[in-house]
Parts: sequence; structure tokens; C-alpha cells
Amino acid sequence: MTTLPEMRDLAHRLVACEAVATKTAEPRNSATLRVYEKLRDGLSEFAGVAGFESIASRALVLARTEAPSLNAVQVSSDGELHGFGRDLGEIENPIDIDKDRAGAYSAGEGGMILITRLLGLLLIFLGEALTLSLLRVSWPAAALDDSNSENGRKA
Amino acid sequence: MSAPDRVTINRLPTGVPGLDEIVGGGLPEFSFNIIAGAPGSGKTTLAHQFVFANATPERPALYFTVLGESAIKMLRYQQQYTFFDPAKLPASIRFVNLSQIVLEKDLGAVLEEITKEVEKANPAVVVVDSFRTMVRKPQSDMDLQSFIQRLALFLASWQATTFLIGEYAEDELRDNPIFTVADGLFWLRQAAERNSVVRKLQIIKMRGQDSVPGLHTFRITDAGLQAFSRTFGLIGHLKNPPGHRRLSFGIAELDKMLGGGVREGDSVLVAGSSGTGKSVLATQFIAEGIRHGEPGIVAVFEERPQAYAERANSLGLDLETPQKDGKLAVLYLRPLDLSVDETMHSILDAVQKIGAKRLVIDSLAGFEMALSPGFRADFRESLYRMIFALTGIGVTILSTVEVDESFTEFPFSTYSISFLCDDIIRLRYVSIDGELRKIMVVIKMRGGNHAKDIREYEITSKGVVILGKRLTHYQGLITGIPVHSDGPDPMPEPSQEPGTGNKR
Repeated sequence: MTTLPEMRDLAHRLVACEAVATKTAEPRNSATLRVYEKLRDGLSEFAGVAGFESIASRALVLARTEAPSLNAVQVSSDGELHGFGRDLGEIENPIDIDKDRAGAYSAGEGGMILITRLLGLLLIFLGEALTLSLLRVSWPAAALDDSNSENGRKA
Repeated sequence: MSAPDRVTINRLPTGVPGLDEIVGGGLPEFSFNIIAGAPGSGKTTLAHQFVFANATPERPALYFTVLGESAIKMLRYQQQYTFFDPAKLPASIRFVNLSQIVLEKDLGAVLEEITKEVEKANPAVVVVDSFRTMVRKPQSDMDLQSFIQRLALFLASWQATTFLIGEYAEDELRDNPIFTVADGLFWLRQAAERNSVVRKLQIIKMRGQDSVPGLHTFRITDAGLQAFSRTFGLIGHLKNPPGHRRLSFGIAELDKMLGGGVREGDSVLVAGSSGTGKSVLATQFIAEGIRHGEPGIVAVFEERPQAYAERANSLGLDLETPQKDGKLAVLYLRPLDLSVDETMHSILDAVQKIGAKRLVIDSLAGFEMALSPGFRADFRESLYRMIFALTGIGVTILSTVEVDESFTEFPFSTYSISFLCDDIIRLRYVSIDGELRKIMVVIKMRGGNHAKDIREYEITSKGVVILGKRLTHYQGLITGIPVHSDGPDPMPEPSQEPGTGNKR
């Protein structure tokens, strides 16, 4: 698991995981936003709020190159996302992972791109083993290895 | 209170090779320790090694980071070390960042947060990295001292072994009230000495047990810190004291000169100028030991092991086979920033691995050159420790040393180390009848009688061969320019063919 498509795949699985929870428990929350918030909580604990804010800001800048709709989104000093609502409409729709994986992202899929970029940065800085270890804190039940993904890639 | 009633303090592995012995057998459980040193001295890596060696899912480690190094970057770099096991995160090791609380609140809030996390996780190990950065505003030492005191009390009650990491310069270590709270105080330092960097650690304080005093060398490799005790890990470990045997050189005449051979466990110095056969003699000593079933080690500094073996082969001495059979180790030690302690570590490893009884150091000049400049200043002292430690476990050491040949003096060594040696064999050139010949004399044998003869020898295809009888008709042989005295000349002519010298 070293490439952006693989991170995209992982982001999809995390969002899909949260989408299930969203339907059952907290229907108002965006699955993507919930993924972001879980990443924020987990990373802020060990990297600090400022540490998370800086890495999230970088991810946002990278994501904007693919999804101009994210230009309206900002990361606040505590790592919270602002202006994400405009993007949420599309994201809150049920996620079609196969469709997303097959082609380029639409503008409304900016949230997914942001998560992908965030995971990509974690991979760059911490490596695969440590990134997956950290993700398992927030998603202990989720299948995070590529071998379980539909791409069938090995971790 | 009688001995059986005393509380037993468990000792935890430090995770740093060599450090357990230095701290006195491991780190006392529930102790409150401070690691002090300048930036880049290895403090964080030491704490990580301890954490990874001791944390379990049942008794995890809590690693609090404060200001300073980014936690993400810290993990990015620390995971390069081989001890770093990502699978231990986060079940066994949890990193908690306190920077926001430090920035926005006071030390009381920091203590409260640490308390909350500790009560939640029930950790066996707690690290605060770096506690000094918590004092943001100009505050008195008392604030930090009070914080540390309360933290120490709390963590001890919660049965956690603790490390606080702090940046301190050398002069700050003296009379610092902060350190009175600590049970253990580790001081790490690195110093550039000419072109080399030397890392040293000192256990300034270790309550409850005897640590090894003094400055110990350590190195940071891809496996993390590795410490080299000044006592080479041999304190109280005289498992194999020397016996009373005499060890042969495989040169009958020389053995006779030595009163039957070298006493087991002696330190022998073979001194002579270039080309006098010091290495040949050393090789014969090792080869003879192997022939008698005594494994040996040759530490070479001036030539590569292959060249050493090839030269031995030209003398009819097979060093290749015993190396393959595990009876001989030829150590090539030539990095230019070695410490004696590291060299010793390599030699001791080899001694233990093959059960060596004989050791050749060829040569002391090469050994000295392989050391960092800072260690060269302490060469004699280091050599003393090394020889004392090795002979104490029954290893017989033969060191070679090159001396400047003078025709007015008869020096044994340029290092003034003869006092370290039990036995000294001196080789030298003499000028006789327009020829440069070689003579050998046993200068000293501690605790034993030896021949006082001055004997001529040659280096032949069989190695060192001692010729004829002692030279009685020359005066001033040790000056190198003897004067022929009256009477029949017992000085043999040099051999016409190599290897036939013993005919005369």
C-alpha cells in the first residue's frame, strides 16, 4: 500500500465503514466528516492539535488541486474543518465505491479526496505499519489491509 | 532488618545493549529517572528503547510529548531503528501530546492531564519528553521542582517506571535541585574531538543499586544505542581464571629462554622495529595454540585478515582452516573513531564465541591509530583496563609494538607501557661485520625465571628460527653496534639458505 489509488481505496473503506454507522446511529453526520473527525481525534492525541492542524492544512492544499470545490474549505487552528457544508451535499449521498474507483472524482467528492490526501501524508511521514496501527485505534473492526480490499492489493 | 526481610527491587531491562550492566543489572522497577543531555545526544532514542523493551498490552507505556520535536517526525525517525516495532502501537505504547495544554495552561493542568491518562491506562512505563520545555514563561526552578516532585510521588504510587527527558548543558547538572528528586540520573553527551565525535554516558545517580561509575562510551547505530562499559562487563565475572600452565610459542629455543613458555594469563609484549618479525612471532604463538587445541583471536589493525592469513601461509602456518572450524577469529578493527571499549566489546564477543585462550593484538600502534583522537589521550589507561580484564578471565595476550631503533638506546616501547606487561621480548637489529642481523632477548618475565641470553635469530620459511648459542664474544650488543671481544668467535655466520639456520 504505497500509492495514491491505494490510499483512495482505503479512504473509501473508512468512509463506507462510517456510512453504515451514519445510517444507523447518527444520520445527520456526514460519513466523510466523521472519518475526518476520527482522524483528527486520533492524530491530535499523539501529534498535538497543532501537529494535526498542519498536516490537515497540507492535505487540504493538495486536495484542492483535484477538487476545486474545496477552495471554500478551511482548517481552523484546532484542526476543525470549516466551509465543508457546501461540499457535503454530494458526499452525504450513499457512496458507490465501484463508481468512484473507476473514474475521476467529481467536484462533490472533495471530502473523499481530502481524506485520501490526509492518509497519503500519514503514509509518507509514518509509513504503512504505523499508519495502519493508528487507524486501528479508531476503526478496530475495519478491514484495513489491502488484501481485503476490492483492488486485492497486498499490504 | 535481616537480609531476607528486605524488599526486592525488580530490575527491568533497559533495552540498550551493555547498559544493564552499567546501571547495576537493570533499571529498578518504579524508579523515577531523568535523562539529561544536549540536543542530539540520544536521549529520546534511549527512552524509546526502554519503552519498546518493557511495554506490554497489559502494562503499556505512555509516552507524553510536549513542545519541541514534532511527534510525527519523532516517530518517522525512530521507526528507522530496528528495535521499533510498529505492532506495539497503540496497544502497548501510546503517544500523548501535551503541547496544547502547555501552551494554554500551567504546569498544574499538565500534571492533571498526565494523572488522568495514567489512571486510565495503568502504565508500567511513563516518559515525558521533554519536561524542560514545559516551562515556557520565566518561572523559578521551584515551580518545575514542585511539579516534578508531585509527578514523582504520583507515578511511584501508580507503580510506573518513569523517564523524564531534559536538555541540560554540562554545567547545569551541578547542584540542580531538580535532580534531587530523581532515583536515577542519566547524563548523555557527545563531543567533537578533532575530526571524530565521541559519545559518552554517565550514571550520575542510581538509587538502590551499584552502577558502574565513570564515563562509558556509547554508539548510536541502526539498532539504537549500544553502551560499552568501562569494565567491559567483567566485574565479578572471573569465571575462567588463569591456570599455571606454560604456553609454547612452537619455537623450542624461545620457550627455553622463557623458562618453559609463557605463563597462562600473562600479557606479553613483543617489541622491535619494523621487519624484526614481531608479527611472525605473534602468528606462531597463535598457530601453536591452535595446534594444542587452544582457540585464538588475532586483532589486526595494519593489514587485512586475508593478507594476514596469506602471510601465515607463507610460513607454513594454516590460519584459514581454524577460522572455518571456529577455532580462530581474525578481527579487523580499523574505523578511525573507535573507543577501546568498543574494541574490547568486539574482542570479548569473539572470546566468548570461540572460547579463546590466546589473543594477539597486532599492533598497539595500529590500535592507537584506530582510536578516536580523544581516546588516544587515555590509551595507556584504556590498555591497562583491557589487559587486566582479559588476563583476569584466563586469556593470554601477546601485543606487538614497534619501537624506533636507536643505536644509543634500547627502548622497550614508545608507549611506556612495559609496566602493563608481565613479559617482554625485545627484538632488534645489530650491525656485525657489515651485515644487519637480528637478536632477541627476554627482558622481563614477571613471577618467573628466564634466560638472560642474547640470541641471534632469522626469519625463514618456517618462521622465527633461533640460531646457535648465546652471544658471548660481543660487547654492547644491545646498542646495535657491538664490539668484537678477544677469543674464539661464537657468533655464527648468517645462514646461506633460509630455513637452515638451526643447523649451526
